Amino acid sequence: MKTDEIKYSLQNLAHRKTRSLLTMLSILIGVMAIFALISFGLGIRNYMDTLAEEAGADKLFIQARSVGVPGTDANFFVSADDINFVSKINGVDEISGMYIRAGEVKFKKEKKFVFIAGTDIDKKEFVEKAFTVGVEKGRQLKKNELGKVVLGYNYQFEDKIFSKAIKLGNKIEINGNSYEVVGFYGLIGNPQDDSNAYLNYRSMELLFEDIKDEFGWAMIGADKNTDPEVLAEKIEEKLRKFKDQEEGKEDFFVQTFADVLATFGTIINVLNGILILIALISIIVASVNIMNTMYTAVLERTKEIGIMKAIGAKNSDILFIFIFESGLLGMVGGIIGVILGYLISSAGGQIAAASGFAMLQPVFPLYLIIGSILFAFLVGAASGIMPSIKASKLNPVDSLRYE
Amino acid sequence: MLKDYFMFSIKNLAKRKLRSWLTMIGIFIGIAAVVSLIGLGEGLRIAVTSQFNFLGSDVLSVQASGLNLAGPPGTAVATPLTDDLKDKILKINGVDAAINRYIESGTLEFNDRQTIGMAMSIPEGSERKILEDMLNLKAEQGRLLKDGDNKKVLLGNSFKEDDIFGKGIKPNDRVLINDISFEVIGILEKKGSFLFDSAIAVNEQTMLNLIREADDTDVNVIGVKVKNVDNIDNVKENIEKLMRKERNVKKGEEDFVVESPQNLLATLNSTLFAVQLFIYIIASISIVVGGIGIMNTMYTAVLERTKEIGIMKAIGAKNSVIFFLFSVESGFLGMVGGIIGIIFGLLLAYGLAFIGQITLGSDLIQAHITSGLIIGALLFSFILGIISGIVPAYQASKMQPVEALSFIK
Repeated sequence: MKTDEIKYSLQNLAHRKTRSLLTMLSILIGVMAIFALISFGLGIRNYMDTLAEEAGADKLFIQARSVGVPGTDANFFVSADDINFVSKINGVDEISGMYIRAGEVKFKKEKKFVFIAGTDIDKKEFVEKAFTVGVEKGRQLKKNELGKVVLGYNYQFEDKIFSKAIKLGNKIEINGNSYEVVGFYGLIGNPQDDSNAYLNYRSMELLFEDIKDEFGWAMIGADKNTDPEVLAEKIEEKLRKFKDQEEGKEDFFVQTFADVLATFGTIINVLNGILILIALISIIVASVNIMNTMYTAVLERTKEIGIMKAIGAKNSDILFIFIFESGLLGMVGGIIGVILGYLISSAGGQIAAASGFAMLQPVFPLYLIIGSILFAFLVGAASGIMPSIKASKLNPVDSLRYE
Repeated sequence: MLKDYFMFSIKNLAKRKLRSWLTMIGIFIGIAAVVSLIGLGEGLRIAVTSQFNFLGSDVLSVQASGLNLAGPPGTAVATPLTDDLKDKILKINGVDAAINRYIESGTLEFNDRQTIGMAMSIPEGSERKILEDMLNLKAEQGRLLKDGDNKKVLLGNSFKEDDIFGKGIKPNDRVLINDISFEVIGILEKKGSFLFDSAIAVNEQTMLNLIREADDTDVNVIGVKVKNVDNIDNVKENIEKLMRKERNVKKGEEDFVVESPQNLLATLNSTLFAVQLFIYIIASISIVVGGIGIMNTMYTAVLERTKEIGIMKAIGAKNSVIFFLFSVESGFLGMVGGIIGIIFGLLLAYGLAFIGQITLGSDLIQAHITSGLIIGALLFSFILGIISGIVPAYQASKMQPVEALSFIK
């Protein structure tokens, strides 16, 4: 049907190679940037979805209100009594308190400050499920053993935390006390959590004398048939009464895991959105470039248009030719942009993984690829509308005479 | 002569009015985006760093090392500072004063509402005046603390606003700190710094006896004032030496930090700069695209004027003249686009800052555009125009006159 027109457009683009290439270059840069930004944004959303699934949407947290990172301010804590009380509330399946303090870890004369976490070995399966990873190398701590520690994933590699890699059986010092490394957790995917050191309750209470029964936070598993949102409100209300605190003056707060993720997700989305908006500016500029190229094309081919009209081409045929031509410019730019964007994102993902942010991985769903190319085509076609209308409205007689 | 070149360029641009305008629009959008983003970014950076810019240059802080941002300063540390260090630091040559600072998180309650904040101590005796000078504390309402003020508190300026407790606090009001009743003695002057405007200041004895746990003598920070600013690096080294000896650690294994406010600011600045840079890079993509637009326009111009170039060469124009003509033309495209871009960028930056301040009510959103930025942007757009035009201009200058004359469109 329109094969002749399409062929004609292609020939024309090829005829002005430099100009076509430059025009495509201008749109491909923007498409590349947007494609890369969106692929990372989707990757983070994906990561959070998996996290929500694996850790379970049935998890809740009780945290002490505090200044700074929750759980580290020793003036505010979740007490053993609180945990005991909450464990009896209807709908609470499991609850486990987590000790958390900052500590100085020393290995072969090097010192680093990290978070030391005390975990509940009785509930290790529950805790590991909430962490989404378990001990992947060596073994988990036993309930009452002393002088043993399990480390986060990053300790196994040189130059991540210490310049030398730590192996099973190595000795490290935490705040001056010696511990044998018996296990390593799997990769959680952010440098903070992957550099934690884990002790059992007993070691933790010996190391930090004043910490006994004062937990930084506690995680709760809801019963299968209980809505975690409803449970959160219930726990908040009952615990408030138990602690004899007034509403708005609680020294704790209850959050579902989904809430935590949603907050985090919103922040990421807003930031990513701003970056995409800034990158969109370049698409606008590219669209101006396409318009410019098409105006030039119409001008150059005025005589041609006149001839086509003289031998019977309709206005709509001319319109189609030019819109198709500019759409094609956009689309080819879009295709190359997607390919380059893919390469950049993949490289960026590798760099992120190498620097400890394994959670920052781009994803490339089919709809993103097709959508980006379609978007580029539409931008091209839309930019060509005005020049094409101009071309289609040309008066055949005047055009033929044009020099 | 030069004037002729310019007139020639401008005439040519005017002949292809639509194309010239579209090319300049491309540049102008990019420049406007970058100018407004840099303006807002700089404004934000200045607003953030001014939050920490309350200390003089003659002050050092000594802290035990630990995880930053985890709780109040000096809490998430492995080996806290002891209260005997102060006197030892005081004996170091060049040290004018050393003051123990105690900082504790706690609850503050007023008008039946509660918030969590950080209480800081103000020392008694002769040290009080030194600290007040060091931090430049002045009361806006009421008065500063004095010796013997027990269960009395001095509050930062933001507490006089209604938004924290639903009702502003005035001197003589009573507030609860960790459920103990305190009398508000004064409200500090506004500093524009979050840390100070939300300060909860009490006398050192009050802090140790009422707010802290009884046996807790850990010092959070030691503030040191040096006699002579020129010696500050020297004094810093001597304090480090003393601390290493006292805490029995080797050089390179320090479990403490001695820092000047300038250090802190430099760290903060470099972090903010990294974020800014990333945004600028993405924003400058549109300038690159604008540059490509110029290049394209110039290629077309050379092509269209092949015959003209042939004629000019035939009547004696040198290659360099042709090159110069086209360079001036593309540089002109860049510069005019740049000028319009800067004007729109200024309007955009101040407009967005104005809207941001009204809707979010935050002083952090402000535009800061220097003459350096404006001149830089102008120069940049001119140079960008010339660079984009180099290859087309070169091509034009290298044309064979005979071929150019016989060129048919």
